[in-house]
Amino acid sequence: MEAYLTQQGLGLVEELYRDYGRRARELSAAGRGVIGYLCALVPVEIIRAAGLLPLRIKGVSEEAISDADANMETLVCSVVRAWYDVMLKGRYDYIGGLVIPHSCDSMMRTYDIWVNTLGLPYNYLVDLPHSSGGEALTFYRAVLQSFRESLARLVGHDIPDAEISRAVRAYNDYRRRVHELYEMCKCQPPRISGTEVTKTLVAGLGLPVDEATELIEGVIREVRDRPVGSGGRPRLMLFGAEQDSVDFIRIVEDAGADVVLGYFCPGAREYGTLVPETEDPLTGIAERYLNLNCARTYRDTEGCDDPLEVRFGEIGRLAREFDAEGIILMIRRCCDPFGFEVPALKRYFESRGLKTLYLEDEYTPASGRLATRIQAFLEMLPRGVGR
Amino acid sequence: MTPESPANRRRHATEAAAKVPGMVREMMVAPQRARENGDPVAYTFIQSCYDEIIQAMGITPACVENFAGVCGAKRVAIDFLERAEAEYFSRSLCTYALCGLGFDAWREEIGETPPPAPWGGLPRPDMMLGTGLAICDPRHKWFQAAQLYMPDVPVAHINLPYPPFQRGIDHHREMGHYVSYVVSELRGLITFLEKHTGRKMDYDELAARVDLVDRTWDLCWETYDLRRAVPTPMGTGDAFNTMVPLNFMQGTQQAHDFFRDLRDELQGRIDAGLGAVPKEKYRLLWGGGLAAWFALNDFDYFAELGAAFPAEVSYRLAERIDHLELPTTNDPVEHIAWRWVKYHTYWYDRAQARENSQPDVEKLIRFIEDYGIEGVVMHEAFSCRTWHPGLIWQLNHLKKIYRDIPTLVLESDMVDISSYNEENTRNMIDAFIDVIDAGK
Repeated sequence: MEAYLTQQGLGLVEELYRDYGRRARELSAAGRGVIGYLCALVPVEIIRAAGLLPLRIKGVSEEAISDADANMETLVCSVVRAWYDVMLKGRYDYIGGLVIPHSCDSMMRTYDIWVNTLGLPYNYLVDLPHSSGGEALTFYRAVLQSFRESLARLVGHDIPDAEISRAVRAYNDYRRRVHELYEMCKCQPPRISGTEVTKTLVAGLGLPVDEATELIEGVIREVRDRPVGSGGRPRLMLFGAEQDSVDFIRIVEDAGADVVLGYFCPGAREYGTLVPETEDPLTGIAERYLNLNCARTYRDTEGCDDPLEVRFGEIGRLAREFDAEGIILMIRRCCDPFGFEVPALKRYFESRGLKTLYLEDEYTPASGRLATRIQAFLEMLPRGVGR
Repeated sequence: MTPESPANRRRHATEAAAKVPGMVREMMVAPQRARENGDPVAYTFIQSCYDEIIQAMGITPACVENFAGVCGAKRVAIDFLERAEAEYFSRSLCTYALCGLGFDAWREEIGETPPPAPWGGLPRPDMMLGTGLAICDPRHKWFQAAQLYMPDVPVAHINLPYPPFQRGIDHHREMGHYVSYVVSELRGLITFLEKHTGRKMDYDELAARVDLVDRTWDLCWETYDLRRAVPTPMGTGDAFNTMVPLNFMQGTQQAHDFFRDLRDELQGRIDAGLGAVPKEKYRLLWGGGLAAWFALNDFDYFAELGAAFPAEVSYRLAERIDHLELPTTNDPVEHIAWRWVKYHTYWYDRAQARENSQPDVEKLIRFIEDYGIEGVVMHEAFSCRTWHPGLIWQLNHLKKIYRDIPTLVLESDMVDISSYNEENTRNMIDAFIDVIDAGK
């Protein structure tokens, strides 16, 4: 780890979470190119292979969205608006470009706004099919090749396969460490809280991947000897789209539950899949991003006896693996990809014996109203508060 | 698309537009009849590249957006929106989809058409044809969600991408793999349809339908171009009716003949000096946003103030075929794919040519110049994240790179009438007209 860091483990996580982007800012000042990007569907491996630092744009939930309103309608999801708002306010004024994936309408349809109002020297929109069957892999690989060529023009040199393969290995190493971190959540009580996990993952998004890997290793060393016991609080899984702040998780934990897994981004959805280390690295990258289990990607269930198992089986398996007894679906208003999933998700989880609570909110600090509903939900669980 | 009561009937300038409500009703009844006859029925979306394919295979489309629009216009959508909400769908989601899903959940529960549904509602389909990477997220989520209520109804999902506009990137270089992918997706759809209908695609029939669509696009372009005349013979209020044959009936002789008749009618009106608005004082562009189907009478209000709409961006989803410079191919599927990709990238070269421009803004500029436009009106439908993100920015950018021009942004929804306030809307229209007047 670099000398600039005065702490390790969760102390360092706290520092980096509170001052998100600090390391990227420092590297930018030292001459390293930094490229901002939105959402987990940008193939960061290619950006790193170009010698650039990919930096995930993160909102600030405590700040009211204000400047964004001049150009971006309130019908756009509040997460995207929050990202745009902090960009307009200059929080990322050191980045040299922005990459936006075709994740959802709120991102895709606002691309022109980002490009034309932020005035960054480099912008790119990475198209991504909404399903993985048929010729999707061939098509998406061609899209990634165009992206690679665009970055090569930006940095002024080719991006060889060997560099991309090296980046793939670095990110896969990081994702494996995240899996190890999640192992700390399986015992009762978990050795690490849901708030601590998400803070660690968010902090990692602001670092070069090797440093993020070291950061996680430090956290694992710190928490692995924490004591475990028996009994304890209800174990919950949380589900949602982007969750780059811990406000909501903290409310759930303050209400008396242990958050044993967050199936959101950054979280178990994002880190559940490695890039296959194929001879042609772009093919492996294409496979991973086409198969991330995001609501924006259609799962073909033609001919399946149990379509919901095809769509949500991975989440159900994780719920069992982490011994979750309930799940909270936290969906942002105006989020079409995830909003249309809710009835099916509820039916799936309830059919598997998992108590389910559906909440809808904006990208703002979680409110007291939510806390009341969460407390009522916890009382219904076998290990529920008040039982 | 306006099945109003006689007391509240909206004024149409053209005879053709006045015929459309009857055509809409027939579109609703046709799939019910097909269902009774045992012919295949598919839930479909507009502008999904597959019109000719399903027509050639004798599949009757049940257009779900059309159904939602009719529910909105007849002001009965709220029953279905509330039903969808009771199923845990957020009211912030696309209200077209919510209306359809609420209807489906209700129909499947009671085993018959729910009482509020207009004209018999939608029949249970044999298949649902979703699309992704094209127009909007609900197009690949809606039918997936509907399958919860109809688990035995198969869903096809096809991607219909076209290159995004990126300044400095030559989209022509990207077109090859986009077209190849669309072709492969359409061939996959044909395989799906053959499997579920037991019918084989007749490629000669498909080629004939493709040619018919090309000719319909040309006719539509020629017809709408006549609206440049002063006074304009037809306004956007009518065009929100004539969008039905253009968008919901592609690949049919009826759509083609409709535009032939409309063209002739508009030419007749021009020759007779008849305007859509009796005393045309202002020429406005409907610059973006879906229609508020329950509030089309607002066009009458504009007309009372002397404001005509010679052009609109919304639903004008056709271009003159020779403008697209399509490569020659004998394969009708390839032709459809090229037409799709070229249509959606048509404005890119013009946008690249003007400093800091962008295709949607470039289109506004072209309409303003070609149709002598004095003000731009847009409508923000709160539940649609497809057509509406960026409208405010487009207007800001238009003024920045082109010229200052009066603009008005109305706010409500396509279907959800609870979002609409007539008094506020008309106050905004009054103020907007005052601004135009002041600049004359």
